[in-house]
Amino acid sequence: MDSTQEQQQDFGVLLKQGAEGRVFVSTFVGRKCVIKERFSKKYRHPLLDSKLTLKRLNAEARCMTKARKLGVPTPVLYAVDPLLHTLTFEYVDGLSVKDILLGFGSNGINEEQLIDIATQIGNAVGKLHDGGLVHGDLTTSNMIIKNNTNQLVLIDFGLSFISTIPEDKAVDLYVLERALISMHSSCGDVKSFKAMVRYYEQASSSQATWQKANNDWMKVKLELAGQYSCSTR
Amino acid sequence: MKSFPVAGGRSVSLGLFSDVSNSRELLELMQSGKLEPEVAFLNASLVPDVFPVLAAAHKAVVSQGRESLTTRTLHSELVYNYSGSKHITESLKRCGISDDTSYILAARFDASNEEIKAVEKLICGTEIDLAELETRANQPQILKHYKITPQELSISTLPDAIVCRIAARDAL
Repeated sequence: MDSTQEQQQDFGVLLKQGAEGRVFVSTFVGRKCVIKERFSKKYRHPLLDSKLTLKRLNAEARCMTKARKLGVPTPVLYAVDPLLHTLTFEYVDGLSVKDILLGFGSNGINEEQLIDIATQIGNAVGKLHDGGLVHGDLTTSNMIIKNNTNQLVLIDFGLSFISTIPEDKAVDLYVLERALISMHSSCGDVKSFKAMVRYYEQASSSQATWQKANNDWMKVKLELAGQYSCSTR
Repeated sequence: MKSFPVAGGRSVSLGLFSDVSNSRELLELMQSGKLEPEVAFLNASLVPDVFPVLAAAHKAVVSQGRESLTTRTLHSELVYNYSGSKHITESLKRCGISDDTSYILAARFDASNEEIKAVEKLICGTEIDLAELETRANQPQILKHYKITPQELSISTLPDAIVCRIAARDAL
């Protein structure tokens, strides 16, 4: 217990704790930053544990930078520490899309903002999939709207991987669909879902035809999601 | 020169010099290991901001603390880290100085006042403000060296794109 408390002081102020790691707020050479630590699992063999942790750490760093190269906003990666199993990112100031949508549920919907968010989600996910990157955990809590620019930033690439298989991308969209339905059916709106789908398509329009067909299939799925949440209102 | 804290109480002092006339001399001194005090020289036209240099310095300090430097000294490690590549010779060639470099960013870890003066004396050129980095940077050269695409630049600043490459190098 003592050692974990010491470590926490080392990394900064604890922000969130999950099953795979802890997230701290700290500073990195003069800038506010977020440190994500993957802690070791005591139930695993130490050798296997360090290999797995390191592999996932590197994969996350790789996928985040890959996403940036594809033109999808993600936090700037400041440092990777393979010994302490930490990643240091830029601190993104803003609310998660989840909080914003929940706010719509209680305070009424801001139509303009909803469509803007949906558009940005569609655009970002379209670009990711177009470049062969699957996010793996597309939920509304993994999207942040930056405070001053209203820019959508995707976070948590811990489950991301690179794939050319359409099913992987479809699963990604399915996760997003479920997240939207379960959390936010109260502000489901066909218009905003359509915007999302349209921009998803647009972002991936440079694709080979077979993949485009696949996108069409996803489009249907997403549209169904929109109608479903609308009918449950 | 201006000092910046890096990590664990250590700092790095940076100084920007233009119209440097003795780069050949500096290079020879450095390569023979006779540079006193030891300094890192960066090709400043590849540096659009101090932040990527600080990120590289942070990385160098951390690996020195673990005795896992890839290059021979802390200062050469800074240049190697800044390049974002794993090729040491190529890194030092491109991001370090050559015979005819006239625009130089000098860096010294944990510099005392005397050392800063010595460094400023060592370099025959005019010291200019670090704020000039942005306007004097050679953007096409940076884009080429770090392979930064227009897509990435549409969502990111140039310094941020470089920082990502410095940080993610060993993960790739």
